[in-house]
Amino acid sequence: MTVTPAVQDDLPRLSVPLSRGDARNLALGDVVRLDGEAIVTIGMPTHQRIMAHVAEEKPLPFDLGGAAFFHLSVCSRETPAGGAEPLYVNPTTSTRFNPYLPTLIRRFALSATAGKGGLDMDCARAMQEVGCVYFSMMGGASPLLSEGVAAIVETAWDDLIMQFRLTRVRLAGFGPLTVAIDAHGRSLYDDLARNARAKLPDILAKLNAGRAAAR
Amino acid sequence: MAITYDAIRRATADLYAWSLRTVPDDAVAALRAALDTETAEQARKVLRFMLTAAERAKSDDTYLCTDAGVPSYDVKIGTAARIDGDIRQAIVDGFADLCATAEPPILKFVTNPLTNQRSFAGKDMPLVTWDVASGADHVEMTCSPKALGTGRWASIETFVSPSLETIERHVMECVLKAGSQPCPPVVVGVGIGGTFDIAAKLASKATLRRLGTINPEPILADMERRLFEAINATGFGPMGTGGDTTALGVHIDYASGHGYTPVAVCFNCWINRRTRARIHDSGEIERCE
Repeated sequence: MTVTPAVQDDLPRLSVPLSRGDARNLALGDVVRLDGEAIVTIGMPTHQRIMAHVAEEKPLPFDLGGAAFFHLSVCSRETPAGGAEPLYVNPTTSTRFNPYLPTLIRRFALSATAGKGGLDMDCARAMQEVGCVYFSMMGGASPLLSEGVAAIVETAWDDLIMQFRLTRVRLAGFGPLTVAIDAHGRSLYDDLARNARAKLPDILAKLNAGRAAAR
Repeated sequence: MAITYDAIRRATADLYAWSLRTVPDDAVAALRAALDTETAEQARKVLRFMLTAAERAKSDDTYLCTDAGVPSYDVKIGTAARIDGDIRQAIVDGFADLCATAEPPILKFVTNPLTNQRSFAGKDMPLVTWDVASGADHVEMTCSPKALGTGRWASIETFVSPSLETIERHVMECVLKAGSQPCPPVVVGVGIGGTFDIAAKLASKATLRRLGTINPEPILADMERRLFEAINATGFGPMGTGGDTTALGVHIDYASGHGYTPVAVCFNCWINRRTRARIHDSGEIERCE
């Protein structure tokens, strides 16, 4: 994949892994693009294997210390040189990894996480402690996200299916991404869920009024 | 002339390949309409990126999502259609063709629920619903590969003689539970009545109805309008990061049943993957969506 003119818009560009300063300066709703390197996977077995390594204090195939760790699915093709070229990428729903992320965020002091659909407040608190943000990637926008993945640096745990492998990717203008959980314990997801719940009685009252008027 | 094994096999692979690359034109129109009414600037940005992604998938002939979904087909056989060959096997073989030849390749998403092992094949794959169309001389196939992002939020609950209020409140609870996660703006499908399995099928098929069409049942047409406004008042917004656009449409269908009334609720994400074709006895595969 090459970087095409489509990524040359006016969105701010940041380098990952993020510095703690960059992470803490990001605000909810900021839309950015990323350059640099991230470690990605969408595998439940992958998360479980990382957790087992952590519990047994075994080293991981690549150092996750301070890393950008994303719930991003990658389809790649082997190259004649023995490497892999990225073909297309897209995020998965992060919430199913809620039970694991607080441990991983703290243990590795991750600087950024990403996916779609968010993480819970236990994760947000861990992120606040270490200075880490969560970026919302757009599900279904693979044509846009894919052009920002310049290369696959290496993969590990290749016994797993492709999208579950632990994969180091080089990013060049990767995005657009929205800051949805900041490094100060604020979460768009939590705000929106609570607002929706608070509005529900009014919404139901309007439904009732509409139904009565339709009769 | 007859509708052959080969034609169905080819249509099975073609429909799937098309569905992975296409946001249906009615969904694109609904996204554009949402852009006109959306008041949150952040949400307008996301909607514009979605429209760009839809255009780019078309112009670059590439996929919208990495999740190729679970292969799901609805097949309607015309009672006047002449069939020559094992069209059930043709669908199995057509899906295998797709997995072997898709370019770019698709990832493994067919999952054995007992072991969680993933591959390109499995028991009862592809999932096919068979139906009959009175008088038609063709076979109509719809392919709607369902991915995890929305698939996991489908639910069914059985009530006893529920009021419309109870049904609508239940739909809203399902919407709040899915929240930011099903890649909104979504199409919400609701199936009311029949039996357990029929309600689920009604909801699932309702998501495939074209956006902008009016429900022929006036009670449901009203309910769709009400719920559409109600869901968009929740504020989850495009990609669940806030805004006025949480649903592109609410589609409801019903079947008469007993006093126990299953209510099924399911979701389609904004790319709204579905393709449909008619297979004629000339061998022509006429793409309809």
